[in-house]
Amino acid sequence: MFYQTKFRSITLIAALIFLASYASFGSYFAREIVVEIIILAILAISLDLCAGFGGMVSLCHGAIMGVAAYAFAIMSAKLGWPLFPSALIGLLAAVVVSGLVGWVTARTNGIFFIMATLAFGQMAYTFFFKSRWLGGDDGMGGISRFDLSAIGLEMNNSLTFTYLGLGVLLLAYGLTAMVMRSGFGRTLSGIHVNEDRMKALGVNTAAHRAKAMAFSGFIAGLAGLIAAQHTLYISPELLIWTTSGEALIVVILGGLGTLVGPVIGAILLVLMKHEISDYTDYWHAFIGLVLIFTVLAGGRGVFGQIEYWLNSLRSRHHDPDNHQTAGKPQGGDHA
Amino acid sequence: MDLSFWILQFLNAMQYSMLLFLLSIGLTVIFGLLHFVNLAHASLYMMGAYIGISVAALTGSFWAAFFLAPVIVTLIGAMLYFTLIDRMRTAGPMNQVLVTFGLIFIFLDLVRMGWGDIALGLDGPQSLSGTTRFLGVDYPAYRLFIIALGLGVMTTMWFILSRTQIGAMIRASVENTDMAAAMGINVSTLFFLVFCFGCALAGLAGVAAAPILSATTTMGITILIPTLIVVVIGGLGSLEGAIAGSIIIGFMETFGAVMIPSFSAVLTYVLLAVVLIWRPQGLIPARG
Amino acid sequence: MEKYNLSYWGTIVKTIATKLALVTGLCLNLGFSMISTASAETKVGLLLPYTGTYAALGNAITEGFELAIEEAGREDEFTVIVEDSEMKPPVGLAKARKLVYQDEVDVIAGVVSSGVLGAMRDFIHQSQVPLIVANAGNNLATGENCSPYIVRVSFSNGQINRPMGTWLAENGVKTIYTLAPDYAAGHQMIDAFTKAFTAAGGEVIGSEFTPFGQTKDFGPYLTNAQASGADGIFVFYAGGEAINFVKQYGSFDIKTPLYGSGFLTSPLYVEAEGEAAIGVRASLHYIPTLDTPENKAFIKAFQAKYNAMPSEYAVQGYDAALALMAAVDNGGVDRATLAAQLPRVSYVGPRGPLEIDPATNNIVQNIYIYDTVMENGVLTQKMIDTVPSVRDDAAGCQM
Repeated sequence: MFYQTKFRSITLIAALIFLASYASFGSYFAREIVVEIIILAILAISLDLCAGFGGMVSLCHGAIMGVAAYAFAIMSAKLGWPLFPSALIGLLAAVVVSGLVGWVTARTNGIFFIMATLAFGQMAYTFFFKSRWLGGDDGMGGISRFDLSAIGLEMNNSLTFTYLGLGVLLLAYGLTAMVMRSGFGRTLSGIHVNEDRMKALGVNTAAHRAKAMAFSGFIAGLAGLIAAQHTLYISPELLIWTTSGEALIVVILGGLGTLVGPVIGAILLVLMKHEISDYTDYWHAFIGLVLIFTVLAGGRGVFGQIEYWLNSLRSRHHDPDNHQTAGKPQGGDHA
Repeated sequence: MDLSFWILQFLNAMQYSMLLFLLSIGLTVIFGLLHFVNLAHASLYMMGAYIGISVAALTGSFWAAFFLAPVIVTLIGAMLYFTLIDRMRTAGPMNQVLVTFGLIFIFLDLVRMGWGDIALGLDGPQSLSGTTRFLGVDYPAYRLFIIALGLGVMTTMWFILSRTQIGAMIRASVENTDMAAAMGINVSTLFFLVFCFGCALAGLAGVAAAPILSATTTMGITILIPTLIVVVIGGLGSLEGAIAGSIIIGFMETFGAVMIPSFSAVLTYVLLAVVLIWRPQGLIPARG
Repeated sequence: MEKYNLSYWGTIVKTIATKLALVTGLCLNLGFSMISTASAETKVGLLLPYTGTYAALGNAITEGFELAIEEAGREDEFTVIVEDSEMKPPVGLAKARKLVYQDEVDVIAGVVSSGVLGAMRDFIHQSQVPLIVANAGNNLATGENCSPYIVRVSFSNGQINRPMGTWLAENGVKTIYTLAPDYAAGHQMIDAFTKAFTAAGGEVIGSEFTPFGQTKDFGPYLTNAQASGADGIFVFYAGGEAINFVKQYGSFDIKTPLYGSGFLTSPLYVEAEGEAAIGVRASLHYIPTLDTPENKAFIKAFQAKYNAMPSEYAVQGYDAALALMAAVDNGGVDRATLAAQLPRVSYVGPRGPLEIDPATNNIVQNIYIYDTVMENGVLTQKMIDTVPSVRDDAAGCQM
């Protein structure tokens, strides 16, 4: 179950301020890095919603992000629609595809759910990879930037773009947190913990899981739109399963089922990757070590672990009744 | 398209099925007994190929590589068992997947450091070069050897599991680990032995595939998905499932390539999705 | 990145400056302007994959590039900043932007995959920073999507395969069955071959595209190709897939001769293919056995430095550096002058006479038809024929 604790709010705000100042005071490439973090963080939040609260460890979230990006690009660049309705179509496509995947895979659990989502993700990847109309594996360009000069925003300025991306990240987090705090989110956690009991309570669990996937698709779609707007070029690379795998690593690294954790995880992973690749091409091994260490250290992730410490400190010294589930990895053992 | 064409394609399908079987059987046995999802199995397969290439280069003999590579891979597997696998056994599938995925990254870079980025090849044994007359067609002798190897491993495993005492112990432990332990079976030793056996099979698959497929640094990651698909379609942890899965995928990919080539890239994924929607636990789910 | 250490100290100083600035989060621009105004040398961004499937290509191109500058003794003139594109288009674009805006390079060289090139194309064109393409063969990059700022010293997918189509048809091959991986480059290679082969009177009687990166067993396709009864099989495969394909072709004892785009039996992979590669006939823009003084000198220098035979990829890196140095010699001092000079480059290199076609900015070069043969226990390339000065037509290219 999700609680927007004070600690989570503070951490999120601190993370956003860090990213904003990193982009403002850092070099040009710092902005590229921050946008990369934003895209990965939004995708990871979307995945955390499914995996952390619903126990649905999906390997097709990269594909859903890619579907949004492609739908947006097809509408705007190929069919000449204005950008705003194209973006809405992009989001809608992500919601529909994600919801459909959630609906047809509703009976599968654990590794079987992982593999079923992998299958759908790879089908989408293969479709765009083979589509010669959309440039196949060479990808497609010709996407234009949103023109927000009417409200005084120059989108071609990389700093403005980065700030706007941070705004979308905050929006994605806020929406997800709101939904997870609502009855809908609580029911989702309930299904994860004991699906039979929720069925007995009269919940249509399959439909509920599909709805959760659809909402998660909306958030992933936001990441896809930023990706397309950022590079003004998209390729099937976005949809391949390793993109989803990377998002999963980010969720675990930061802390499953915490929503703030994925943001922290994305910051850590991307910064680590760039820092290490300055010195060696063998950064995969390092990420592997970090991943193993994270799991061996308790599997709570960096943010989850700190939260866990704080909670146990607090419950020991101040308020013995306040045993929040916050620091506990939600669903990690059931996935 | 005469009969000999279809016999050739049938043999192609058998050969590919047996390669998949050698790979997936180790993974599924480890899962069936230890309830451990060992993604690093794919890395051990890669190690089998690379170690095989080095042993062959040092000794000049394919057969030395064929027998030594699985042994060395088993030693690597044993090391993994004592450092990581054993302590992760009760940590839940999610954590197991992540730890072993981390291992894949580490093995990837270890191979790049040790053998470089350029793809390597391994020559098959001289005695199995060229083609042999079989079922009325000329077919590569080495491919026939792969088919025989797969069938041999299949028969041996069936014999061990159904006819020997250790097989009975394994079956008992799969059904109910606690009860087996209570009956005096040393479950942890059994687990270790089965894990080593699975690793040996991964190494064997790697070195056996090397003369047909090149060894590349990404071969572990690329083989991971087909292997998982085979195991999941069959039903994770079930021996019969792994056999069924390998044969279904092997035949479907081969005949898909022959008959509907433009669709063959997605065929496997479509099948996987359909099977899981229809039977969410795979075709032949494991008991226990 | 330590891979490349021309003006090693400059890089170190800059790296430290970057780290310090990142730690404090301040003053970075100040730190940078101090360093970048320090010298009048040419800044080169080398953008190549050093991780992933094509890391071997990135390394080979870097080796060639490094050798050329070292041989000329001009290490002090060029600051080289190396970036890993990871073979991912968004990463490639981000690194290109970094090279242009932050490192303020005068020229970018490299780019292995057409996907990364496609992602960078508009940015390069708009920012007017010259790009020397050292591999990516997408026809469109010097065709429909050409740009005065993109000069290619490697090859175009069509350029390699058209001559082979004509040559085969003229040398008695009447029917062909084609195979290639199912991705954009595979289609371009096969399309170019098919057009030329058909135009010269040949007939392609069967064609198949295999799932890219997934196909492990080529047995079914080889059986199909053999059953078609064609005079020959023409294929394009590269890297690990080339090794798999050639070895499996060999194991089937197929009597139908195998022809290919020369990447099939590249020196980089031919050793791994072993005896199966013997007798495969292919076309390529470079083979190490070319009997010219330029090539002999190059091979000697390459072997002295790296103790290996150079591949066509190493030559592409080498020529990227030679073209760059020639442009500098002709008065290229900054982005604009380098962009103006690069298309005018022409010289005789290891591959033979080279020039850049001003109509497309693609290279004009010889294409060599060669057999892979065994000589003294070593697999090597035997030249069969030379198709001189192959030039792409300006298909839709307007500068």
